[in-house]
Amino acid sequence: MLAAYMFVSVLLFAIGATGAMIRRNFLIVLMSLELMINGAGMALIVMSYFTGNISGQVMFLFVAAVAASETAVGLAIAAMMYKNKKSVDINDYTTLKK
Amino acid sequence: MSVEIVVFAILALMAVGGGFGIIVTKNPFRAAMWMVLSFIGSAGLFVMLDAVFIAMLQLIVYAGAITVMIVIAMYTMDRLTIASLKRFNNQAYFGALFGIGILLDFIVIAAKLKINTAQMGKNLSIAGSNVKAIGDVLFKSYLLPFEITAIVLLIALFGAVALTKKDL
Repeated sequence: MLAAYMFVSVLLFAIGATGAMIRRNFLIVLMSLELMINGAGMALIVMSYFTGNISGQVMFLFVAAVAASETAVGLAIAAMMYKNKKSVDINDYTTLKK
Repeated sequence: MSVEIVVFAILALMAVGGGFGIIVTKNPFRAAMWMVLSFIGSAGLFVMLDAVFIAMLQLIVYAGAITVMIVIAMYTMDRLTIASLKRFNNQAYFGALFGIGILLDFIVIAAKLKINTAQMGKNLSIAGSNVKAIGDVLFKSYLLPFEITAIVLLIALFGAVALTKKDL
């Protein structure tokens, strides 16, 4: 079963990474980042179960705190982007080019 | 055993299918609903892995708080502006290729993984309570990281407030 659980975790991470790279909508990029963090956390829980060590579950608490911080800052950035340009399309925000 | 495999298949399908729904849906609100489905599936998998407290945390923090925050941020924006964007970038092919590369890389690693599973499913609860075991380790071995987590959350709060100030 270890390989099956790890496969789900890896699949979540890879889907999240793909979504963060290919989508245009900034809100969906944020959701994909959540998915990546969730996949990494699932790897922690799986290893915690199969090695019989509770530390993995404790680490998930820290991962969840980091995910919450990341969402707060990300949504603040999204609100600022929308306020400045009335758009959340990431291709409208190449303002550091040139 | 076979019941376990069936339940695992259903929950894994929920988790992965929800994730796939996020990256192909055009409407961001529907993507948020797919995200809830994915997180519920993950929480079910955590229950199967004897991580009951973490499963509840997953439901409350991820499926509850984070999804609601993203949806509320969506409410403040014009529906046509956010729902009528094109789905994918111009360079989406390269991104998808890169994602498949990550997937294959990690699958090879996960398949080669060899760990000692003699202790499988043990030590995860004290007197039948998962929360007691987590609290025991958290406040005895991980006290400093726990305090630093509080500082990280505080700094994130300051950052969010500073970013949304009017004169920035």
